[in-house]
Amino acid sequence: MDKVKGLVKEADKNILGLLIISICIIIVMGIIAPNTFLSVANFQSMGSQFPEFGILAFGMMLAMMSGGIDLSLVGIANLSGIICAVTMLAMDGSVVGMAAGIVVAIIVGMLCGATNGFLIGYLKIPPMLVTLCGLQLYTGIGVIITKGPAITGLPESFALITNGTLAFIPIPVIIFIIVVAVLWFIMKSTTYGKELVFMGSNSTASKYAGIDNLKVTMTTYILSGILGSIGGILIVSHYNSAKSDYGTSYTLLTLLIAVLGGTHPEGGKGKVMGVALAIIALQLVSSALNILKVSAFIKTAAWGFILIAVIVTTQLIESKKTTR
Amino acid sequence: MSEVFLKLDNIKKSFGGVHALKGVNLEVKLGEVHCLAGENGCGKSTLIKVISGVHDPTSGDIYIEGKKITKLTPIEAIKMGIQVIYQDFAIFPNLTVAENIAMNNALMTGTKTMNWKKARKIALEAMSRIGVSIDPDLLVERLSVANKQIVAICRAIINDAKMVILDEPTTALTSKEVDRLNEIIFNLRDKNIAVVIVNHKLDEIYQVAKQLTILRNGENVATGGIEEFDRGRFINCLTGRDIQEDFYRPEPSDQEVLKVENYTKKGMFENISFTLNKGDVLGITGLLGSGRSEIGDALFGLIAVESGNITLNDNPITINSIQEAIKNKIAYVPEDRLTQGLFLKRSIEDNTIAASIGKYLKNFKLDQHAMTEVTNMWIKKIGCVAASSQVPINTLSGGNAQKIVIAKWLNTNPSLIILNGPTVGVDIGAKADIHKILHDLAAEGVGVIVISDDLSEIIQNCNKIIVMEDGKIISNTDSSELDEEKLAKLLTGTVMAEGGVANE
Amino acid sequence: MNNDKVKQILTSNEMIVACIIIGLCIIIGIVNPMFVGQHTAINLSRAMLVTLIFAIAEMIVIVSGGIDVSFPAVACISLYATIKFMNANSIDSVLFAFAMSGGIGIVCGLLNAILVSKIKIPPLIATLGVSSLLNGITLAYLGAANISKIPDNVDSLSQQFIYTYTNEAGIKYALTVLILIPIVLYILAYVVLKYTMLGRGIYAIGGDKNAARIAGFNIIKIQFIVYMTAGFLAGIGGMTYTILMRQAGPQSLMGAEMMVIAAIVIGGTRITGGHGSVIGTLLGVTLIALVQNNLIMLGVPTHFQTFIVGFIIVVGTVITSIRVRYIDAKPKV
Repeated sequence: MDKVKGLVKEADKNILGLLIISICIIIVMGIIAPNTFLSVANFQSMGSQFPEFGILAFGMMLAMMSGGIDLSLVGIANLSGIICAVTMLAMDGSVVGMAAGIVVAIIVGMLCGATNGFLIGYLKIPPMLVTLCGLQLYTGIGVIITKGPAITGLPESFALITNGTLAFIPIPVIIFIIVVAVLWFIMKSTTYGKELVFMGSNSTASKYAGIDNLKVTMTTYILSGILGSIGGILIVSHYNSAKSDYGTSYTLLTLLIAVLGGTHPEGGKGKVMGVALAIIALQLVSSALNILKVSAFIKTAAWGFILIAVIVTTQLIESKKTTR
Repeated sequence: MSEVFLKLDNIKKSFGGVHALKGVNLEVKLGEVHCLAGENGCGKSTLIKVISGVHDPTSGDIYIEGKKITKLTPIEAIKMGIQVIYQDFAIFPNLTVAENIAMNNALMTGTKTMNWKKARKIALEAMSRIGVSIDPDLLVERLSVANKQIVAICRAIINDAKMVILDEPTTALTSKEVDRLNEIIFNLRDKNIAVVIVNHKLDEIYQVAKQLTILRNGENVATGGIEEFDRGRFINCLTGRDIQEDFYRPEPSDQEVLKVENYTKKGMFENISFTLNKGDVLGITGLLGSGRSEIGDALFGLIAVESGNITLNDNPITINSIQEAIKNKIAYVPEDRLTQGLFLKRSIEDNTIAASIGKYLKNFKLDQHAMTEVTNMWIKKIGCVAASSQVPINTLSGGNAQKIVIAKWLNTNPSLIILNGPTVGVDIGAKADIHKILHDLAAEGVGVIVISDDLSEIIQNCNKIIVMEDGKIISNTDSSELDEEKLAKLLTGTVMAEGGVANE
Repeated sequence: MNNDKVKQILTSNEMIVACIIIGLCIIIGIVNPMFVGQHTAINLSRAMLVTLIFAIAEMIVIVSGGIDVSFPAVACISLYATIKFMNANSIDSVLFAFAMSGGIGIVCGLLNAILVSKIKIPPLIATLGVSSLLNGITLAYLGAANISKIPDNVDSLSQQFIYTYTNEAGIKYALTVLILIPIVLYILAYVVLKYTMLGRGIYAIGGDKNAARIAGFNIIKIQFIVYMTAGFLAGIGGMTYTILMRQAGPQSLMGAEMMVIAAIVIGGTRITGGHGSVIGTLLGVTLIALVQNNLIMLGVPTHFQTFIVGFIIVVGTVITSIRVRYIDAKPKV
């Protein structure tokens, strides 16, 4: 019992709030639409949806923790997805081709991230500008490759990544859990994780403490790029095609999730578990709205509203704290 | 006899239960340079804010030109002719010199349009009044600190200012620039403007001020003509203690720790050579721009030097980056604790291990337990007063926070530790603790270099003292051959006692 | 002294961009002589008309130290709601169209202003949220289909020209009367920014907010004016676009922020605030429009366009950033 109390005390209020919201949605929806919302099928369908944008959201989280932002994630995702598709088609859709496609996609993500990191860390161009340009650039490369329309005719088996299950758990969820675990370990138990937090909270002091800010920035955006490419692979598998303008609404969504999960827009603060919970909470909201047959457009409005509402609330709470 | 412009009578000010001012009396005459001195936290800034109308005094009276003022607002103060030049000048880097100078005038008169011709005219007039000339069309971001200050002074005097308050105006100036500032101040004085300067460097005070008021713990402990003060009385009034006579005198040793030869970075410092033996604490002093800070920066890899050799514990080393400096076990406590030294929102533990994270990587995993343990060890060892290792560092006092900055470096087991202004904004108790730590380190064989413009700190805590001027070493001696007066003389080239060049 | 000033003008950002524009024109002209002629100027004016309106608004926001990525959404909701309302109530007045569209824009700008200035949310996140909110509301509650029925008087504006030109082949090129809107706006912006205390206040708060407070500027008031003006101009820009395209789309302008911000940055405005000029913005928009519209003339396939424009933006921002750092590093006087 004491242990539980300690855990609750240690856990962020933010995380607690998200947990309560998620449970509330499940209870309310369980009463309103028990047959649809609480069905295995619904949970499985949710499981094949949220890892896509959820993994991108972690990229956003890392960038924001470093004191920056990554608006190019969707561009990286699509470009990696397209190159993955092209590689698979070039290798006749064999299993080896699929593996090669995935590897190449991740390399592309790393390269895009390295470009962002270089421009931000070495040339000291504001991250917002770099990644906004990056979005245009990576999308542009994607358009050159596809010449506009979607690349189709991908191997059937590739769709299994999103459709398949392993012991009733959708494969995307398994990938998501692996990503969460890896990031959790990185943030908690590696020097990079500590250095990222230090640089995000005061980059001058981190420089004076001997932390190589350029290296940390590069690592951050490369990791963000890798996460972008994993998201891209899932998107390609989901649509079973690759195109340069899939998932454009994800940019805002990832920002929303990162902020909702307790990531500080000014850097230095962020929790993997907070973001993971935010992803799940948002998926629950989204699924609830679907079942209540609310239009997709209202969802767009809702994301904007929630983002503003969350920041306004935290801002007001914080200003109250400081005036006290 | 010139007339009294400002008179403060028994001004008290408290915030909540804290008494910042406990009854201050002050009289400033037109055409007089009045210096306000006091250690950190003596109530200087509160007093300035009362005079400029930002704070209402809790009790006491303010008289301006003989009239009792019941309620002084910032606008009122400006209309009465009181102008404050803050340490950061509060000017706009992206606007031109002319605009910066004329902006306040336009805002005061409430005009809606911007007249560039008039602005330029106002600026040129203001500059000629104090005898300077800067191109009025230049953007302020292109100016040096000294010229930015001149822009701020010009802006202050355009509205028939009768009293100008300068808050620590010399902290960021080189010695030449200080000379020019003094000329400007004399110029203002001759125009019958009252000038109040906040400063606690005696040698600089002697150069300009006629009257001196010393504040301590919210009270004025002494007021009088500058000639009434000698160094002993000044220090005594400032700190409430007599000059300490216990100097640091280590056991002589032949074991060489650090040897620097012909260290050169053009434009910053040239041909710097010195040695440091076991037990030595080396003090480097000099005015701003003399190269004192730059040597520290260079030894820590922040500045790449052009030539020179460094031998640390008999190993020749090169330092081209901070990472290399740290690899060679060099540590650096930077000048600006808040922006360069601390991660304000992070815990004491994070701040303690920030420079030595790599040490805690065991089996590809950071050892949380070891990090907490080592932090607790340092908190105890270094005498830091804190509730736990997990509280954010911004809850600590300046002295305790500085101890953690030092602990951060001690945790890297340095062979050489360089401290730039180690006790700025640190209370007396913590100051003594920090000096004790440095002496213990030196005794263990760690090279210790203290860079400071606090002469008594240097004299008392270093056994070797280097004085810098224009990037060159002008004196390198044992501290037993120096006293504060000689040191100050070396530093400024002016005679201190009896007022020297300053008055009339 | 005089030499210095000449040098300053020659190495100014505006001059560099102007030279690039001229150079680019010469290259395109050599590769494709079809480019040379009045028709190019007319086409280009038409192509950059709406961007110009958005760009000047965005520039003012960025100079004040903020950013507004919500203007495409603001423009869409303004234009769509206005046209829908006018159709439903059979109102047919050009003045009403612009007034209502601008008015809706001001309300949206007010929302941004409250979030940024009063509640102190980082501008990028605040306006991104507002953008999503407005876009969702437009699509969910106003409609998702393009409206091609524009009230007659409003629509007829698209057929009024201030200048026409017929080339040898008999093809008529006409310059729309709508070009007057950006022309008036740019002159107005130039005067307000340079010769009023409000304008200088915008630069002042973008340069150093704390200094502006001490000097006595009303920062909140200035920020409100800035964001509400941006909203108003987004509304005007949206209506102009509707008339130009002769249809009202609820999403037609989404995504325009990229080009606009890029054009401004290339025009010398610093994204960190405090620096930016009207002429620079004009030149930046011109450069981007020139590239976007004439790549085909250079024989570049359409699907290369996004990339090339993106590439030019990256190069442009890299150059501007390096230039700023170079200026910062120059010895101070």
